[in-house]
Amino acid sequence: MLRITGGKIFDPANGIDGEVRELCVSDGKFAASVDGGRTIDAAGMIVFPGGVDVHTHVAGGAINFARAMTPEDHRRTQAFIRSQSRRSGLGGMAPTTFATGYLYAGMGWTTVNEAAVPVLSARHTHEELGDIPIVDKATCVLMANNEIVLDLLENGEYERAKNVVAWYIWAAKSYGVKAVNPGGVAAWKWGKDAKQLTSAIEGYSKLTPGDIVTQLAMICDDLGLPHPMHLHCNNLGAPGNISTTLDTLQHLEGHRAHIAHSQYHAYGGDDWDEMRSETVQLAEYFNTHPNITTDAGAVLFGDTVTITADGPWQHLLYKLTGRKWGNLDIENETGCGIVPYTYRPSNLVNAIQWAVGLELLLLIKNPWQVFLSTDHPNGGCFWRYPEIIQLLMCADFRNECLTKLPDKIKGRITLPELDREYTLYEIATAMSAGPARALGLHQKGNLGVGCDADIVIYEEDDDVARMFSHPRYVIKGGEIVIEDGDIRATPDGQEFIVKPSYDPGTDEFLQPLFEDCYTMAFENYPVEMERMENPDIRDCVPNS
Amino acid sequence: MPKSKFLPRGRKDRTAVLVDIRPTKSAKACDIFLQVRPGKDFELITILRALIKDQKVSEEAVAETGVSLEQCNDLVDRMKKAKFGCMFFGMGLSMTRGKHMNSAALLTLATEMNAFTKFVAMPMRGHGNVTGADVVMRWQTGYPFGITFNRGYPRYNPGEFSTVDVLVRGDTDAAFIIGADPGATMPQPAIDHLARIPTIVLDPHITHTSKLSRVHITTSVAGISAPGTAYRMDEIPLPLKPALKSPYPTDEEVVRRIKDAIAKKRFWMPEGEQMITAQI
Amino acid sequence: MTLTVVNNATCTFCGCVCDDIELHADEIKIHKAKKACVLGTAWFLNHTAERKYPDALIDGKEATLDEAIEAAATYLHEADMPLVYGMSNTTCEAQRECVALADLLGGLLDSHTSL
Repeated sequence: MLRITGGKIFDPANGIDGEVRELCVSDGKFAASVDGGRTIDAAGMIVFPGGVDVHTHVAGGAINFARAMTPEDHRRTQAFIRSQSRRSGLGGMAPTTFATGYLYAGMGWTTVNEAAVPVLSARHTHEELGDIPIVDKATCVLMANNEIVLDLLENGEYERAKNVVAWYIWAAKSYGVKAVNPGGVAAWKWGKDAKQLTSAIEGYSKLTPGDIVTQLAMICDDLGLPHPMHLHCNNLGAPGNISTTLDTLQHLEGHRAHIAHSQYHAYGGDDWDEMRSETVQLAEYFNTHPNITTDAGAVLFGDTVTITADGPWQHLLYKLTGRKWGNLDIENETGCGIVPYTYRPSNLVNAIQWAVGLELLLLIKNPWQVFLSTDHPNGGCFWRYPEIIQLLMCADFRNECLTKLPDKIKGRITLPELDREYTLYEIATAMSAGPARALGLHQKGNLGVGCDADIVIYEEDDDVARMFSHPRYVIKGGEIVIEDGDIRATPDGQEFIVKPSYDPGTDEFLQPLFEDCYTMAFENYPVEMERMENPDIRDCVPNS
Repeated sequence: MPKSKFLPRGRKDRTAVLVDIRPTKSAKACDIFLQVRPGKDFELITILRALIKDQKVSEEAVAETGVSLEQCNDLVDRMKKAKFGCMFFGMGLSMTRGKHMNSAALLTLATEMNAFTKFVAMPMRGHGNVTGADVVMRWQTGYPFGITFNRGYPRYNPGEFSTVDVLVRGDTDAAFIIGADPGATMPQPAIDHLARIPTIVLDPHITHTSKLSRVHITTSVAGISAPGTAYRMDEIPLPLKPALKSPYPTDEEVVRRIKDAIAKKRFWMPEGEQMITAQI
Repeated sequence: MTLTVVNNATCTFCGCVCDDIELHADEIKIHKAKKACVLGTAWFLNHTAERKYPDALIDGKEATLDEAIEAAATYLHEADMPLVYGMSNTTCEAQRECVALADLLGGLLDSHTSL
């Protein structure tokens, strides 16, 4: 039991904007009142719901491959020292599992969504998630390049495809559907890509990326998944890709969707020399289409390691940089590439990318539609989010940063014209309430009675980055986990999963296809429920 | 071999090439066998890297490898015409003259082949769940092997913290051995050191190492009488389904009990900083 | 005597980790390992559920499991630079415990890979 008194409450889910109120916590949830227990005097402090990361890569084969590829970074980065009760860990570009939990909680984030899980290695992802302490977790399973699903869509078998997708979600013990470069990763098996929404995919006679976008979005809606299709558009990172992105959004045909890391999809120009920001067009689309949400995928200057299921893009990035390249092909399901990368302010393309991420956060008017993310670790590491908050809240600081960019950037970006500054209420929306609602996790990002008592308390400070980097208290499920910069407790988090309904004949349909194409036994493929550590099955509300 | 939409005839639609220093049983199972001279792997791979880029190579250099220029050209032609190529490599490459340089050369060849067609490379891992050990250590410590926690957080340096080196130097003063029998496989000076210090062995059998140890604990066999998970060499996790019930406890249970017993004793490090922001 | 059949069992003899093995077993041993290769068959048929060895040995003499666990804990706790090594022929669940053990000890951690 816990009572927090005197703090200024920022709770966008309930429209509370800085009022001084009391919060009561009982059994890990907010309560109307409470008898006894500790009282935290939060007078002069700021109280937010715990942060929610809608799009990050923290567990599974891809990030674990990135860990293997970057020992030089582990050797120089933050180290968490072993105590009698707490495991050691390393931070940096690809933190270890334990450090991932400490770092997220350390800056007040209490829920994360691992955004790219292949069914084939879902068992691995869950094992790692079980070793990430403190935070709650959700996952999205990769579907837009799965050959069985693609074959069904090619043959116009929508109903069966819907059943198969539902079957896969449950087999992976996942929470939502991720689409990465629809059709493009399948084409990468032949060393090809898919850049045109309306051209048939390599290996298919009529199926196009546009068809996949439309039908997967519809499947997610029809299954009533709490989180809509989570979409990484085709043609990521390429100059001029704004047309692909807008074309993709039109292919949603009114269905809900969450567009991942929009920063990488908002470029104009025909080549790298001509590249420019096209955020005005993209933001306008979001401003007129409330059914879609996005996260920024903002870029921060410095070292990182890029990891994505977008195999062909990673091969291109390897050719551009000449740095290490790792490639993983995941049988009939998806692929993955890993390339360490350094974003430099002196590099025109990187400078544009930096501006584009911020422009989207500032130009999309409704903070319930655009969320804080770096597409960790692709645009920068998640533990650098406070730097983005500072850039959003302080126009002067932004302008100072702009002076360090190359002169050639003039006329290619919109950022110098933007004077919007986020309020604390808007930050609380973009880092917590908004992503929680987009994920369909209504008990998160909400300080209302009955919701999960995940709270972050900051001491008010003019130095915004410092204030958001070092919360005074972080409370997870009613338990104080961070206090005065120290880790006090490392409870296990929950994992959110869904069980969408599907035709019971789906097993019979899949088994022979599976036995033809896969390298493991059908029976051994689904993740067993008893392997899940603290699962919480959330409801689906299907369209009838 | 699986049949698939793109390779409907299974094995018949695939071409397998074996490179080895002698014709083995595997050679018969392959379509083409290339006999490389012992210790000339690096040279052969480097010649292939030159040939795929249409660079000239001297006849003498090729002759030294034991493989003819004609065979090399034929191989390069087949590799470029392949829709999806995969190179598998094992200890014959990584543990002979050139060692990790050989593996690096092969990985570079696979990388460079992607300028022409899809190509990948994968190490053939040895015993059982050695891949799982790699995977687990990476997610918990950031490093795949050769780790020390002696500063309270993981650091990595093969050659310094790797077992043979530590034992031969006589650095370690107790050893906990599980799922391995170094007493049968390691160089004699390493074995001698294991016999000198308190060595603890967990194994389903009394092994060579058990015989020189202070403590041996018999455990059940992974996948036969102990449940759990093992990683295939392509890092796909598979469930283990024991057919027998063992009279012995599992490794997992015994290690946990030893760990819990140690946790009750005095902790070795004084209370201090929880975190350092940068290692120097 | 009827044998229990385990379908799609997983073989951990080599790195291929085939998971389509059909095992026929009684209480004590596996009699048949269908679809397994020569190496896999030997692996499955040579391990039994017999009590062939003592539960534990301390200095070569029979000991109970509890005594051996306490002796192991004492040796490891007293060491300045203990080593945790191996982890090939075991489960990921045991490997996770091994990493935790090395972490707790402030010791060395290494696998077959370094050999």
